Amino acid sequence: MKNEDYDKLVKDVIKEESHIKNFFIAFFSGGFLGLFGEVLSEWFIKMFSVSVNDSYLYVSIVMVVVASVLTGLGFFDKILSLFKCGFIVPSTGFANSLTSAALDVREEGFIKGIGANIFKLAGSIILYGIVFGIIFGFIRGIIL
Amino acid sequence: MNYILAFLFAGFVCGVSQVVLEKSKLTPGHINSALVIIGCILSGFGIYDKIISIFNAGATILIVNFGHSLVLGASEGFLENGIIGLFKGILINSSAVLSVAIFSAFIVTLVFKPKH
Repeated sequence: MKNEDYDKLVKDVIKEESHIKNFFIAFFSGGFLGLFGEVLSEWFIKMFSVSVNDSYLYVSIVMVVVASVLTGLGFFDKILSLFKCGFIVPSTGFANSLTSAALDVREEGFIKGIGANIFKLAGSIILYGIVFGIIFGFIRGIIL
Repeated sequence: MNYILAFLFAGFVCGVSQVVLEKSKLTPGHINSALVIIGCILSGFGIYDKIISIFNAGATILIVNFGHSLVLGASEGFLENGIIGLFKGILINSSAVLSVAIFSAFIVTLVFKPKH
């Protein structure tokens, strides 16, 4: 079999997933998380009479903890392949990147393994967050 | 109505990032960093505050909100203490989520074994 034939065969077998379908998958899964966050935040306000800003904090904390535990149990990769960006863009993706990076190198020890690698994926978020946070915090402090 | 708005905004951001992820050769790490930077820019001009007041939790669960909370803390610190306040205040609002994420990641790593 020639190379070109093989390429054709591969293309026929692996159908390209349609972008529109994936858009709606991400839309509904991300939207569901947003809806869930809103329900949870109103529940926190009602049950524990916390302020609105604090309720958002609690919602994020709940999501982060749940995502970490799911990653540890090995479920999160399956969730990601099913629901795609819908679970990467919310703060669940941040927790997943921390936990999965740490889990991969667990055997290499506390310092050289977990300590050196836990921020392998999430480090860029923190780095650019702080750099741009300083710049735009300065701008915001001046203009607002 | 709040629920629908939260659903629409979170879903819209996730859907758009999914399309960008597939049309370009970026990784999820690129997308998340870009979203944090976008959050910083939007917050720097006070736009993200308005987005949160409309879409509530739909806007705060996204990683974009991490950039917003950094900028918010930095600007509040700047107004209080000047330049040193920028650096003192930047993590104030986001340290809770950040610390919980790091702490729970560590505990989970200790408790669970990786599955391949």
